[in-house]
Amino acid sequence: MMASLTPQPHIATGLTDVAQPSREEILRVNDLTVSFPTDDGLVRAVRGMSYVLHEREVLGIVGESGSGKSVSSMAIMGLLPKSARITGEIFYRGDDILTMRAQQRRSLRGRKIAMVFQDPMTALNPVYTVGDQLAEAVLAHELIPRKHALARAEEMFALVGIPQPRQRLNSYPHEFSGGMRQRAMIAMAVINNPDVIIADEPTTALDVTVQAQILEKLLEVKDAVNAAIILITHDLGVIAGTAHRVLVMYAGKPVEVTDTDGLFERPRMPYTAGLLGSIPALESDVDDRLRPIKGAPPSLIHLPSGCPFSPRCPLATDVCRTDEPDLLGTDAYDHLAACHHWPKLARADDPTMYFRAESEIVR
Amino acid sequence: MAIFIIRRLVISVLTLLAATFIVYVGTAVSGDPMQDLYGLQDAGDAERQMDERRRVLQLDTPIPLRYLSWLAGLLRGDLGQNIRGQDVSALLANAVAATLQMVIAATVLAIVFGIVTGIASALRQYSGFDYALTFAAFLFFSLPVFWVAVMLKQYVAIEFNNWLRDPVIPGPVILVASAINAVVWMAILGGDRQRRLTTLGVAFAAAAVSLEFLSATQWFADPGLGPVAVLVLAVGAAFGVTFLISGFRYRPPLVSALVAAAVGCGFYLVSEPVLADPSVWMIPLLAMATVATGLAIGYLLGGLQRRQAMVTATATGLLTGGVIMIDYLLQAYAGYAQRVRGRPISTVGSQTPNFQGDFWQAGLDSGGHLLLPTLALMLVSFAVYTRYTRASMLEVMNQDYIRTARAKGLTERTVVTKHGFRNALIPVTTLMAFDFGAVIGGAVITETIFGWQGMGFMFITGLNQVDPAPVMAFFLVAGGSVVVFNMLADIAYAYLDPRIRV
Amino acid sequence: MSTELERTESARASATAPAGVDGIAVVARTQGQMVRRRFFRHRAAIAGMLTLAFVILLAYTSIGFGPVTGWWDKTYVSTGPVIDGGRPTLGLVPNFLGGDGIRLGEHPFGQDNVGKDYFALVMRGTQRSLVIAFLIGIVVTVVGTLVGAIAGFFRGRVEGVLMRLTDTMIAIPTLIFAAVLAAVARGTGNIIVLGIVLGLVTWTNLARLVRGEFLSLREKEFVESARAVGTSPWRIIHKHILPNTVSVITVTATLTVAAGILLETALSFLGLGVQPPDVSLGSLVSQYQTAFQSRPWLFWWPGLFIVAIALSVNFIGDGLRDAFDPRQTRVRA
Repeated sequence: MMASLTPQPHIATGLTDVAQPSREEILRVNDLTVSFPTDDGLVRAVRGMSYVLHEREVLGIVGESGSGKSVSSMAIMGLLPKSARITGEIFYRGDDILTMRAQQRRSLRGRKIAMVFQDPMTALNPVYTVGDQLAEAVLAHELIPRKHALARAEEMFALVGIPQPRQRLNSYPHEFSGGMRQRAMIAMAVINNPDVIIADEPTTALDVTVQAQILEKLLEVKDAVNAAIILITHDLGVIAGTAHRVLVMYAGKPVEVTDTDGLFERPRMPYTAGLLGSIPALESDVDDRLRPIKGAPPSLIHLPSGCPFSPRCPLATDVCRTDEPDLLGTDAYDHLAACHHWPKLARADDPTMYFRAESEIVR
Repeated sequence: MAIFIIRRLVISVLTLLAATFIVYVGTAVSGDPMQDLYGLQDAGDAERQMDERRRVLQLDTPIPLRYLSWLAGLLRGDLGQNIRGQDVSALLANAVAATLQMVIAATVLAIVFGIVTGIASALRQYSGFDYALTFAAFLFFSLPVFWVAVMLKQYVAIEFNNWLRDPVIPGPVILVASAINAVVWMAILGGDRQRRLTTLGVAFAAAAVSLEFLSATQWFADPGLGPVAVLVLAVGAAFGVTFLISGFRYRPPLVSALVAAAVGCGFYLVSEPVLADPSVWMIPLLAMATVATGLAIGYLLGGLQRRQAMVTATATGLLTGGVIMIDYLLQAYAGYAQRVRGRPISTVGSQTPNFQGDFWQAGLDSGGHLLLPTLALMLVSFAVYTRYTRASMLEVMNQDYIRTARAKGLTERTVVTKHGFRNALIPVTTLMAFDFGAVIGGAVITETIFGWQGMGFMFITGLNQVDPAPVMAFFLVAGGSVVVFNMLADIAYAYLDPRIRV
Repeated sequence: MSTELERTESARASATAPAGVDGIAVVARTQGQMVRRRFFRHRAAIAGMLTLAFVILLAYTSIGFGPVTGWWDKTYVSTGPVIDGGRPTLGLVPNFLGGDGIRLGEHPFGQDNVGKDYFALVMRGTQRSLVIAFLIGIVVTVVGTLVGAIAGFFRGRVEGVLMRLTDTMIAIPTLIFAAVLAAVARGTGNIIVLGIVLGLVTWTNLARLVRGEFLSLREKEFVESARAVGTSPWRIIHKHILPNTVSVITVTATLTVAAGILLETALSFLGLGVQPPDVSLGSLVSQYQTAFQSRPWLFWWPGLFIVAIALSVNFIGDGLRDAFDPRQTRVRA
């Protein structure tokens, strides 16, 4: 009896607690390129991206701003402006989204492929109640009475952990806290039982403590509706406990694709090594230096020849500056990297050492 | 929220009173009230008149005390006497109706047209339509109201009245007008190349045929719509309203709208006894009946789209009612034309002197006199509203929640009308009060040019004669209406934006 | 009218600059330079500036002002015999196209009913309007900025008082207020007084906007740090906040000037502005409005000049607004 009064410790839901991915292909992206013509020239945001997403899989896409990670997902959703030039193929369960008519694409959007955006403060319309906006997501695709749609919305609120779901249906977005708003966005994304949830930096705008809750909720929800997740972020920490596989993007192209453990323990692309080296870790010595990557990402209008990372790469040689490396297999199974010198990284104990700051070399 | 509005109201009234002091003193010191009496031949008579005037205007007391005495009178309900000793309240009663008609008509039209074109312009940014509208807006901003008014007097009134003697539309005019009509519809409906060309062709043909028909039958000399035209317009309204509100994906809203149109047309066929010469109260009554009927039709026939069906049915009902009223007005024209000797658009005064006629003819009379001054007043307001709405809509369409709405799979129409429109309207309400003040100022000018004996006229005359009482009366009404409009704008803002409802 | 995309720094850098230490060079540009570049891309604003410059030059050099004589041989007061019913002698259609040839003639804008040269009259009216417009601009900028800055920065009771004053003035519709004060000013017969008076009527909008800007800017960190270091309030206003409000002030002042021109001509039309024997474009329209049927040129020329000036200033104001707003983008479709 005493036990029922003390609060139970909350065991976080991790990747091992959710259902494992199957072999069934939900989404297959083939050589996707996206360019925008502007007055300054052609901005090549995505320059040839390919990957596969399986049922119930969590794929993390990591990259800096301007790497093309968001643009590629917007292409899947069909939310890019009309001026965008898109080539390649995006197969959803065998049908190419890019050749579908607008009406068909719209029927997929929000129903089979849903998106959660970065900033929950501005992603909800301030003049309508949250319940109204969730019900709208249902009514856009199904012809059911409004009452039923609102009941579904209430169910979703309960699913994502919003307290007092029935009353909360009538609240306005400004009456919710940031974390609750993001939960509502997740509810809106899953209300139609989608096959794919694209989460574009879902935790970037939130407090650290809330971040963990949201990520955990995402995983729980994924199981509830049997969906796969594409998790886009610039934060490797978010990927660590949440994704099955990771795709690292740089300058519009994937440069490394592998399972999460492989990425953290055996990076085969200098950019990834650099990213890992620049994360401050709790276990590191107080005297250890951070090892940032020098320089800034290249302009997407005037890309340098050869590998786009070469100006900032400590392993760069002449061949790197003339030939852009393709995404090819490395020593590990199903681990692809776009680097001419991946064996060098394979041989090193600590790949981040190449990014040592000047002051460290003295010691 | 009610407390918020009442507080604002109290502050506005106090501010208004403070402003009255400035206006009173300004008027009193602006010149010499005896000016016109100095040159009089008869010295004794002049002396007597000056004494009389001195008494009426209390010229022997210092100005601040005169103000207080006026204020005291105001609190008693007495607006004082003008320089000739006439009671200002009586003068005001006559003048107010005329001026308010003009000002409200101009404001409502400017708001409706301005918002519609502003939104269309924002949705078709950088198109030819957008550029043309932007240029037009700038031009209207820069036009002096008095110049436009005089131009309208000449071209619209005199030329149009002349043309009405033989209302045949020349061929070239038909071609140009149809071309413009075609281009406008193409711009509004947009779409891909095929759809644009179709719209272009259809709109051109429709306009050309209609205009030729009107010209050949000399329709303008004896206009009227007739049951056929009413039916066509009502059905067209039904389709248009449904297109805007819910689209054609599901049947019920369209069906409800068409039923409402049919009911309206049916009513039209039997409406003669009711509408031949209705009293003033009949019209609002009928409007309410239309709304009730529309709501009922939508409710009964709406099925799963009940809400939208109610809106489409009611809107169609009201539009059909409007078409019916236009038909009655047009049919009354033949009789009216005789009274004004075939020159319906008038340039002098707010109504034809000693006019006696039935409800519709009186309506035509008011309309004919209102047309030009309202048009002149409307242009500048329209430009302001269209620019402001455009900017607001552009900003709204760039917001994240629009992207979310699209990501949910909503049709573009719903994204624009449900999510975009309401948010874009919010800042526009703040514009309404300020613009209304400007319109009242403009009314002063148009009344002078068109010879209306309205409040503006009272103001200018009073100011020139250094006569505070009528000036203050005008200012109270003008300032008071701005306060009322401010309040309406606040209420609209609170209705549209739940964030400020405390 | 809209502008094109502004070039991104890195695009320019990678295209033209040599590689620096980290392989990336940066081209530094001041905000003033960027604003100026964006402004000069705005075609309508340039057209407005050129038109305005032309009008100013024409008005002042043609009939001269004060002690300076112009190149036009007639003045706005001298009367003469009415030639050809006062019709304008301006020819724009060249001879070979069947017209009268391109020429100015004796009376390019025609004559009025007592034989005064209308060109000289319109030029004089334009001069008066330009002077008043200039005065309005100065008064509005100074008073509006001062009031807005003090209210927005110091807050408290000072702000309360200033805002009550501003609100009271806003409660009076502009034309009404201007009419009353102009009536008071016409006793002096001096257009400098009139210009200042009109400025004193129209500054309220700018004051409100400046106050808004100050309210938001004073919360920013750079102001807090300046205050923490002990900078005096005036210096903070002058050196830190004011430069950031330049955009709002410039744009609003320009648009207020355009409105001011229309206000002055309207008042003159009603007989409350520029008084006879001096001339205003508004008073010309008023004087000859009944002559529209028989002598339309008496009506067209002053109106066209009013529209030209107001439109040019409005375009310049819009160009400034677009130049100061870095969010303008245009993607070529």
